[in-house]
Amino acid sequence: MHRYRFVLFRPLQFLPVLFGISVITFVLVRLIPGDPARILLGTRATPTALARIRAQYGLDEPMWAQYLYFLKNLASGEMGRSTLYKIDVLPLIATRIEPTLALVTMGVLLSLAIAVPFAAISARRQGRAADQAVRVVSTLGIGFPPFWLGLVLILLFSVTLGWLPVSGYGETLGEKISHLILPGLTVALSLSAVLTRSLRAGMIAGIHSDVATAARARGLSENAVFWRHVVPNALVPTVNLLAVNIGWLIGGTVGVESVFALPGMGQLLVRGIFSRDYMVVQGVAMTFAVATVLVNFLADIVTVALDPRVKL
Amino acid sequence: MSLLAIRDLEIRFRDGAEERLLIDRVSLELKKGEILGLVGESGSGKSLLCRAVMGLLPSRKLSVTKGHVSLAGRDITRLPEREMLDIRGRRIGMIFQNPTSHLDPVMRIGDQIAEGLCRHRGLPRAAAREEAVTILRQVGFTDPPRQARMYAHEFSGGMRQRAMIAVALACDPDILIADEPTTALDVTIQAQILRQLAELRESRGLSIILITHDLGVVAQTCDRIAVMRDGRIVEEGEKRRLLAAPQHPYTQALIASHPSLPHEEAVGDPYQPHSRPLIEIDDLEVSFPAGGSPWARRRFKAVDGVSLRIGRGETVGIVGESGSGKSTLARTLLGLQPVTSGHVAFDGSVLTLERARTLARLRREAAMVFQDPFNALNPRLTVGETLAEVLRVQGKVPRAAIPARVNELLDMVGLDRGFAGRRPRSLSGGQCQRAGIARALAVDPTLIVADECVAALDVTIQAQIVELFRTLVAAQGLTLLFIAHDLAIVRSLCERVVVMQHGRVVEDGPSAEVFARPSHPYPAALIAAIPSIDPDQPLAAAMPDPRSQTQQEGLLT
Repeated sequence: MHRYRFVLFRPLQFLPVLFGISVITFVLVRLIPGDPARILLGTRATPTALARIRAQYGLDEPMWAQYLYFLKNLASGEMGRSTLYKIDVLPLIATRIEPTLALVTMGVLLSLAIAVPFAAISARRQGRAADQAVRVVSTLGIGFPPFWLGLVLILLFSVTLGWLPVSGYGETLGEKISHLILPGLTVALSLSAVLTRSLRAGMIAGIHSDVATAARARGLSENAVFWRHVVPNALVPTVNLLAVNIGWLIGGTVGVESVFALPGMGQLLVRGIFSRDYMVVQGVAMTFAVATVLVNFLADIVTVALDPRVKL
Repeated sequence: MSLLAIRDLEIRFRDGAEERLLIDRVSLELKKGEILGLVGESGSGKSLLCRAVMGLLPSRKLSVTKGHVSLAGRDITRLPEREMLDIRGRRIGMIFQNPTSHLDPVMRIGDQIAEGLCRHRGLPRAAAREEAVTILRQVGFTDPPRQARMYAHEFSGGMRQRAMIAVALACDPDILIADEPTTALDVTIQAQILRQLAELRESRGLSIILITHDLGVVAQTCDRIAVMRDGRIVEEGEKRRLLAAPQHPYTQALIASHPSLPHEEAVGDPYQPHSRPLIEIDDLEVSFPAGGSPWARRRFKAVDGVSLRIGRGETVGIVGESGSGKSTLARTLLGLQPVTSGHVAFDGSVLTLERARTLARLRREAAMVFQDPFNALNPRLTVGETLAEVLRVQGKVPRAAIPARVNELLDMVGLDRGFAGRRPRSLSGGQCQRAGIARALAVDPTLIVADECVAALDVTIQAQIVELFRTLVAAQGLTLLFIAHDLAIVRSLCERVVVMQHGRVVEDGPSAEVFARPSHPYPAALIAAIPSIDPDQPLAAAMPDPRSQTQQEGLLT
């Protein structure tokens, strides 16, 4: 099991990464023009009221001192208090994390469900009509912006056909799943386009590889060669591509959440930015960063499990 | 009746209007228990012929247009795919030149063997796995229950080829097609694999088609030889008759260019030290990280305490099997690999003390020729541009004189001047290597390090490149460090031989002496393992090397 030893040590490397991210987000948020106290109280607020708010949230202190407070809070498991929602940031994020997580999971599962069969069809009929069709569709998938795809899907499945809810999230598991299908599909259509292309390339290389020739030479049928030898080898590089894309997806759910009115992290981030709610923006950015780091960590574990040659 | 008969087989390549004849009316027979050697250079069609027998032509643009192949009297040339599946692996097995790329890297060795057993003998999975262990034992694995659960990359090259043989023989086929099975292996390992094949023929009555470009391999193992060239069989016959009295001029040329033939004595007088050596290596050690935990890093010593002096104008062959540290030594010498401890000096500049200055001198006075001539050239540049780039960077030739110098360089390596405008893709292997040598010469070096630079070439091309080196060294007074695993080539080119094993120098002396009277058992075993073209001079017992099987495992555990 020595190949999995990195699972114990790798998390130590996360610490400097997260520290760096905290510094960058902290500084960047404060570079956004606009005074949070004035945005909170409106344009007609008195100077004393403004000063009181500033003192209350520590905004009158120098930036390095604010950062130290932030670190101190973080060490005791807090992320400060939202100026907009008037509650602590951590519980606020906790309530918003589920829809985003569910959306990303749904998107990834749907995109794999689309990409693997499409890539297989395409690779095994390389150069023929089915392959051309898959390639055109996946090029379109990359080309269309997700928010536009989302609107088209709503028009088709919710407004015209009435099969699925237009927007929102729901209470029960069943409701949640039916609310997630369209946003998940929106994410999946662009993500699966990227995955299909990578898988197709890997599968085509695999079909012509020496491994496949040797497998044919021992009498395996073309189907057995493909699913037992070509696919496992083609999955390895795709896992890493998927990890990179999930990282991008986590930050990119903002648009999809807005279109489908999902109460997730993306929405929270947008509102936080508009109201200069430093604590919320920082908290969300940190959560995204942690998620991205964790996804890549997970991808490393999967890669090691799929490819016995990899040592980390 | 012969087991396998090929009659007037024709294979054509068709792409639109373009049509080429690749295999031209080939007829061959293979009897039960016979080993047939199919000899020819790359592109002669020998691999293609065997693919056709298996019904596995590598492209849809290729097709059998005439003739037929029959297996035990049954015509299998145009069998439907479904019936062909029962022949592949079950009646005819196949092994390949490069076991590393032909074994599935992400599937356990045992499972790859079991796969065929499930397919052809309908064994349940568990039974097939047990059977796989038995088969691994038969092909010389020492601890098959454990090794069946290992992956290809955890084995040494020789063991991978044994695993490949196990996969191919799992379902007890009548015929084994072995496509250059030992070309990628060291000589001692090659001897072991060839012996394994001969044993399998004895124990199972296996018939073997052995494809190779090495007549020595054929002379040692085969009963009959067929020589192929340009898609035709130019000569065929019983081994001894064919080797003793070749009829076709091509066969005669092949035999004449075989390096094992003692057609010339080891070259040159031993070097007489007359001045300060060009290269001084003292107690050099180079090691690589080899895993382990962050607080207990393991290191693998590639070069372990080597001291060596090489004088100006010497031609030194460094010989050893893969993993012996010869390439690492050369790379360290050129400053391409950090020194772990010890000293390396080039013409008085000590690399370990004045790194920047020595590197600057090395880049101006030393050049390297690489193993893979094609990949070592930039595919986007023409040969002329590649050479001009070196000349510009070196600045030894005035800018205006560069085109003339490029022509001179091409003349030196025997390439037509027209090659200046061509890119590597349109060159053959031998032409690429000539371009690679021209690039090294463009530096106007005092030292050339050639790392396995003929290993990837056909024998007749090898002979030409070695000849080129010989003329260049004589004409320009170069110091040549020629790294090879092929002792025969070193013997014919170098006046001095250094033999390395496990990172140490085990023998160092004038070629004539080392080859005639090796003082260490390892070089003796290496020399004995070279397959001689004389069939009556048997392949000597290769020295068992306890590290060869567990080499990779040792690194991992």
